[in-house]
Amino acid sequence: MSDVAQALVKEGYKYGFITEIDEDRAPAGLNENVIRFISTKKGEPQWLLEWRLGAFRRWQRMQEPKWANVHFAPIDYQAASYYSAPKQKATPKSIDEVDPELLKTYAKLGIPLHERAALAGVAVDAVFDSVSVATTFKDKLGELGIIFCSFGEAVREYGDLVRQYLGSVVPQGDNFYAALNSAVFSDGSFVYVPPGVRCPMELSTYFRINAAKTGQFERTLVIADRGAYVSYLEGCTAPQRDENQLHAAVVELVALEDAQIKYSTVQNWYPGDAEGKGGIYNFVTKRGACRGARSKISWTQVETGSAITWKYPGCILEGDDTVGEFYSVAVTNNHQQADTGTKMIHLGRNTRSTVISKGISAGKGQNTYRGLVRVQPNAANARNYTQCDSLLIGQKCGAHTVPYIEVRNPMARVEHEATTSKISEEQMFYCRSRGLSQEDALSLIVNGFCKEVLKELPMEFAVEAQKLLSVSLEGSVG
Amino acid sequence: MLEIKNLHASVEGGREILNGVSLKVKAGEVHAIMGPNGSGKSTLAGILAGRDGYDIASGAVTYDGQDLLTMPPEERARAGIFLAFQYPVEIPGVNNMYFLRVALNAIRRAKSEPELDAGQFLKSVRAKLKLLEIEDDLLQRGVNVGFSGGEKKRNEIFQMAMLEPRLAILDETDSGLDIDALRIVANGINRLRAPDRAIVMITHYQRLLDYVVPDFVHVLSEGRIVRSGDRSLAGELEKTGYAGVGS
Amino acid sequence: MAAIKAEAVPYRDAFRANPAEPAWLVDARAKSLAAFGERGFPSRRDEAWRFTSTRPLAENFFVPVRRDLAVTANEDTDFGKLGFEGPAYRLVFANGIVRALPSKLPPGLWLGSMSQAISERPEAAEFAISEIDLGGTQPFASLNAALFADGFVFDLDEGVALDRPIEIVHLGKSALPTSIYLRNSVRIGAGSEATVIETYVGQGAYWDNVVTNIAVAEGASLTHIKLQDESREAVHFASARISLGWSARYRNFGLTLGANLSRNDIQVLLGKGAHANIAGAYLQRGDQDTTNAVVIDHAEPDATTQELFKGVLDERSHGAFLGTIRVREGAQKTDAKQTSRALLLSDRASVNIKPELAIFADDVKCTHGAAVGDLDKDALFYLRARGIGVDEARRMLIEAFLLETIDTIESPEVREHLARQVRRWLAAEKA
Repeated sequence: MSDVAQALVKEGYKYGFITEIDEDRAPAGLNENVIRFISTKKGEPQWLLEWRLGAFRRWQRMQEPKWANVHFAPIDYQAASYYSAPKQKATPKSIDEVDPELLKTYAKLGIPLHERAALAGVAVDAVFDSVSVATTFKDKLGELGIIFCSFGEAVREYGDLVRQYLGSVVPQGDNFYAALNSAVFSDGSFVYVPPGVRCPMELSTYFRINAAKTGQFERTLVIADRGAYVSYLEGCTAPQRDENQLHAAVVELVALEDAQIKYSTVQNWYPGDAEGKGGIYNFVTKRGACRGARSKISWTQVETGSAITWKYPGCILEGDDTVGEFYSVAVTNNHQQADTGTKMIHLGRNTRSTVISKGISAGKGQNTYRGLVRVQPNAANARNYTQCDSLLIGQKCGAHTVPYIEVRNPMARVEHEATTSKISEEQMFYCRSRGLSQEDALSLIVNGFCKEVLKELPMEFAVEAQKLLSVSLEGSVG
Repeated sequence: MLEIKNLHASVEGGREILNGVSLKVKAGEVHAIMGPNGSGKSTLAGILAGRDGYDIASGAVTYDGQDLLTMPPEERARAGIFLAFQYPVEIPGVNNMYFLRVALNAIRRAKSEPELDAGQFLKSVRAKLKLLEIEDDLLQRGVNVGFSGGEKKRNEIFQMAMLEPRLAILDETDSGLDIDALRIVANGINRLRAPDRAIVMITHYQRLLDYVVPDFVHVLSEGRIVRSGDRSLAGELEKTGYAGVGS
Repeated sequence: MAAIKAEAVPYRDAFRANPAEPAWLVDARAKSLAAFGERGFPSRRDEAWRFTSTRPLAENFFVPVRRDLAVTANEDTDFGKLGFEGPAYRLVFANGIVRALPSKLPPGLWLGSMSQAISERPEAAEFAISEIDLGGTQPFASLNAALFADGFVFDLDEGVALDRPIEIVHLGKSALPTSIYLRNSVRIGAGSEATVIETYVGQGAYWDNVVTNIAVAEGASLTHIKLQDESREAVHFASARISLGWSARYRNFGLTLGANLSRNDIQVLLGKGAHANIAGAYLQRGDQDTTNAVVIDHAEPDATTQELFKGVLDERSHGAFLGTIRVREGAQKTDAKQTSRALLLSDRASVNIKPELAIFADDVKCTHGAAVGDLDKDALFYLRARGIGVDEARRMLIEAFLLETIDTIESPEVREHLARQVRRWLAAEKA
């Protein structure tokens, strides 16, 4: 690209600071005693300890998946600590009791936890390393019967609900990382929206990995009862550290009859430096079950961070007339690797799914879309439309598209389209001859390329996501 | 020939679109059914031709005394009903000539007439192509593939000329045509008027009726025929618009 | 001795080194046999074989056919209906051994059997057994290299445009499970033009294992047609590995009708400015199962690929299409387009489609599209509204759907020959 020869100024990762805070952590290593330690720390009931131990025993017999198009040095699962919590005197009863250092951290991240300062209409659950530190707007939601709290609190207060749904979408032994999570998960968010209730505000969790030599294993469970609606957002950042840190989360969504869940993620974990040193391994299992007829689950993700991303948010369309959606933007720059996509499993009649994936590769980034659309014999009139587009910026990156289509019903209609393109010099020149800077031109074109996905994000997130896209691609043109 | 009695119908699982339509058509007559968008015109055409996807709540349609609604679409065609489609579908890979010959012979067999051999068929095609000013090469393409809007409409009337139906239903055949194409199409239709043939023209505008003069004009509004009259009704509509023609 | 997989043992034991063969070949066979022994049969855990069951092979030992096992093949009665009707230079094989050679050949053309070529044209034989598996996904090619008895060799000098196609007809015929190995070589000299038509038919339960290495030199053009209508008890596995020189053109069309289990592996390596057009149609019913696995490797700039596969699956049949388009670093201005479509005609038929792009260059245009579905309802209604019965209308639409793949072939005689086979299949009674 001779016309765009000038390198961009590198702003770098903005969220790489470290918070100095006392932590309470488990000794390094993983064995049944560590799991008992975690369970005891959290004051969990016996059934949950047994569940964790069951998962751990399965995990020990499992192997890391090798099929993804990602490469990394073997992870020493015994070297990490599986529990790290900011040391607080006791569980905070209100925001005012939260350690001021933590509040400052979230303020720096732009996530105010004080309700009066909070974004209008967004309730936040903040997860710092392994534990939830604050949940806002609890009372207001409580009036509608909506439960929005940390996972730990849900286990204590709503044990029956947790027990009924935990592992019902992502079974313990689903895959290596999900099994690991099931054994050692620390905290996360829990949402229950009662029948017929439309949650009046966006629910949001902000995840932050702070401590060194730890992994983060949060667990999220969202249940929308009959006719309920909820929109849920999650955002993630981590400090800049030289070693790789593992983030192996599990998210389970359950939509009963006529319910709708919209789940949005802006993932900006530390991606490592320009030479590929450090960064988060983001190995995440997310899945939703449209259990009741006419229910709908919609996933939207903007994946700009992490050294390696391995995630396939999927929908199991069990009920008749259910709808699954997946909208994704994944950016890999420098040495980042992403292997991401979705699984749409059509079981019920008249089920519909839409998949829109936009992959952007720059630098030496490797970006893979991997998706499965499966139509089972009973899914008469199932419909799927998939579109995945790749954009390549520079000659050292790679874009890969690996869709699997399996159809076992003659009345199904499945359509898949994929394209690969680059940002043309003409496009850049056109923008620049209208007065745009090189960075602005790139940002404009990339945002245009991702428009169909970005418009699915709630407004506050869409703005953040657009900025992130520009920052993530800095230095990629030149 | 055709009798529609108090027909109530909806799109499968949707709201009611026809709301008690009644109409009688005799051989040799030309009827125009006019109405604004969404009045149910195309639904009526679809139901008469046997398209899937409609729920008939009540009412009856008879054709020569037979119950039309239980007949599959090909039986209707073989019994002499022809629908000129508003949006003729493109069928890549199915040669236009081959298609027409298979259709014509299926209809002839049903009438116990001998099938046409290639020579006779070609002769008949040539004569009728001229009538509609259609280029030969259009016939060598896939059915409607790469045809312009006007070519598609002319091709529909050409098919009508070939298949010689007893009842022709022309669904918005005038839409999307420029004035020259409209003249050609109208000329084709007029040439096909015959004492044993009825024509039902469904249209939004009255301009086709300037060329093909109907014996009867009906106004369809909100799923029922709200007024019927002779050709002067069309002129009235032209002045007052559909809003002015109430029941 | 290296570990050997259990399923490979009987094949190893059946192997007899032929001291009459040249040393390089004896050596190559031994190496290939060891490689196969170590690897064994692929399983569904192997990504490239995920949708192809090898169970029919595991259930029986298919005794490798030997040169001295006589087969009586009556060319006229057995292939009469399937052979190409136009003039052709024709080679006939029965159970993997050549039976008839063309009598008169034009200058510049060498066409004969592999057994002949081993002594007369060793460089062609060596080319035929060179291992050029781009994906490492063809374990049965090693077994073929170890056990092949014969095959065809087609060499065309530079600057020759052949006046008629080369036709290769193969008859498999066996009452007991037998495995048949053909090893073939095609080399087209610079600027030359040729067409090869392969036809596979047979009776009984045999396993055809065919490997063909093809090199098309700069500026040359090869059209490669394959009609597979094997016995409904047979297994047919074929691998074609094609390398295209500068600006070479290669067109491949495969029509899959027969066999109980079949698989076509096609791998094309494109040189600068080369063009590949790969198309196929698969029509299956009963409990037939077929896979088309195509790897297109754009190694150099300015090359183009067009790929179109269509399947029609009835009754309990299963079809799979795996199509990879790879663009290597530096292969700028690559233009590759892949389309794959399938129609399911029954509740119990199923299909797997896996189109894959792996792109390592930025200035490229690559697309793939895949669709599975029923016939277009509007088109079906249109035909019926013109008086055409529903069965006839469906048949017309299916035929039109399939013939689009054949339309890519230039020769009208060849097109018509293949269209006839498609119509014959459509008209045939259900199994």
